[in-house]
Amino acid sequence: MEKNRTKYLTRVAVLTAIAVALMLLEFVIPIFPGFLKFDASDVAALMGTFALGPIAGVIIEGLKNVIFMGLRGSMTGGVGEFANFVIGSAWMIPVGLIYKKNKNKKSAIIALAVGAVSMIVFAAAINYFVMLPLYAKIMPVEAIIGMGSAVNPNIVSLETLILFGITPFNIFKTVTISLITVLLYKRVSPVLHKNM
Amino acid sequence: MLKDVTIGQYYPTDSIIHRLDPRTKIHFTFLYIIILFMIDNFAGYVMAFAFLIGITLISKIPLGYIVRGVKGLVFIILITVFINLFMTPGTPIFKFWILEITDKGLEVAIFMALRLIFLVTGTSLMTLTTSPIALTDGIEYSIKAIPFIKNYAHELAMMMTIALRFIPTLMEETDRIMKAQKARGADFESGNMIKRAKNLIPILVPLFVSAFRRADELAIAMEARCYRGGDNRTRLNELKYHKIDLYAYVIIVLMTAAILSTRFIFNW
Repeated sequence: MEKNRTKYLTRVAVLTAIAVALMLLEFVIPIFPGFLKFDASDVAALMGTFALGPIAGVIIEGLKNVIFMGLRGSMTGGVGEFANFVIGSAWMIPVGLIYKKNKNKKSAIIALAVGAVSMIVFAAAINYFVMLPLYAKIMPVEAIIGMGSAVNPNIVSLETLILFGITPFNIFKTVTISLITVLLYKRVSPVLHKNM
Repeated sequence: MLKDVTIGQYYPTDSIIHRLDPRTKIHFTFLYIIILFMIDNFAGYVMAFAFLIGITLISKIPLGYIVRGVKGLVFIILITVFINLFMTPGTPIFKFWILEITDKGLEVAIFMALRLIFLVTGTSLMTLTTSPIALTDGIEYSIKAIPFIKNYAHELAMMMTIALRFIPTLMEETDRIMKAQKARGADFESGNMIKRAKNLIPILVPLFVSAFRRADELAIAMEARCYRGGDNRTRLNELKYHKIDLYAYVIIVLMTAAILSTRFIFNW
């Protein structure tokens, strides 16, 4: 990194730009409660983590949220963006650390699996202790649970909302994004290594 | 589909609010968010509203722009109001069939809706009056005060500036790649989720390859102009606090004190 600081900087910046562009195109998947948005921006962060290390992944996650908040404004006064950053970092750091040690396909898959588990656990904890209490300040808890139970009748409380609403969504999200990244990185990495 | 996405909300005119230092506006927005969650009485909301209206008028931003920001939230606000109205226990003041409105419910519903609207308008006022580049400068100067990331303030801000510059370019490129792949017979609109995700690959591969190419070319161009990080770098536009910023800070502090004091003076 030190040897080619400028290149590192521009690459992280451009990956952040891709992440924001993908975030602006977010779309909602109907089987999940409406406030869970699926966006592919983590693909760019994962690519950065693979190509440039865990710190790059964390920077992309951070800048992406700051820029997005600047462009679109925040509904939660920045807390939602901060939660997204923490959850994203909990995903990128294990992936980066494991893949950095051993750069082969097997290690990449182990890294992605560990990262996904870490992300899901962190997401559940942060949603339970930070996000849902915060949303509860803006709207009553019954409303949030109601939005969940409209699509899945098993959702009756905050615990079940996390178990049946948020966690399956995150499993789906991590699996889909990891799959896209593996397919993508294999094809993009030759270009990367040629010039670094 | 890509053309519908507008980048940024910045509304350029010449007003006192536009001329304020971006740092002042960032700090104000931060404080405003915290205050909003601390208001617990009607007088506090009236003051927060008066303040918001005041800033809007001074900033010369057409009301339509601000209303547009709230429009996207109408549905959420309505649900919030509806549920609060009928689900909060208290003394009933109105009853129709199984629907019952209580005095407490009415109060909570109004407060929740106001808080949500003020939150959105408050933050979008900042992005409406500050250009993204000024915002980045403001963030760079502001994070210089945080000890842990102090030394990277310049790098982080530089990355943000480059990212902001490239977002429209890359979105345009995404659009072009999609059209090119469609012309070759690619299908992005059908199939289940997994299939759709896989269909993204032919778009993402050229997008990332060209993005990395752009990044490397940019790095060469920067180094050719002797870019070597933040040390000893001079800048074209230095951020400087002016007299109006001082006045703004005084007003912000007074407003905070006034709104927070309502917590102790008024009980309603």
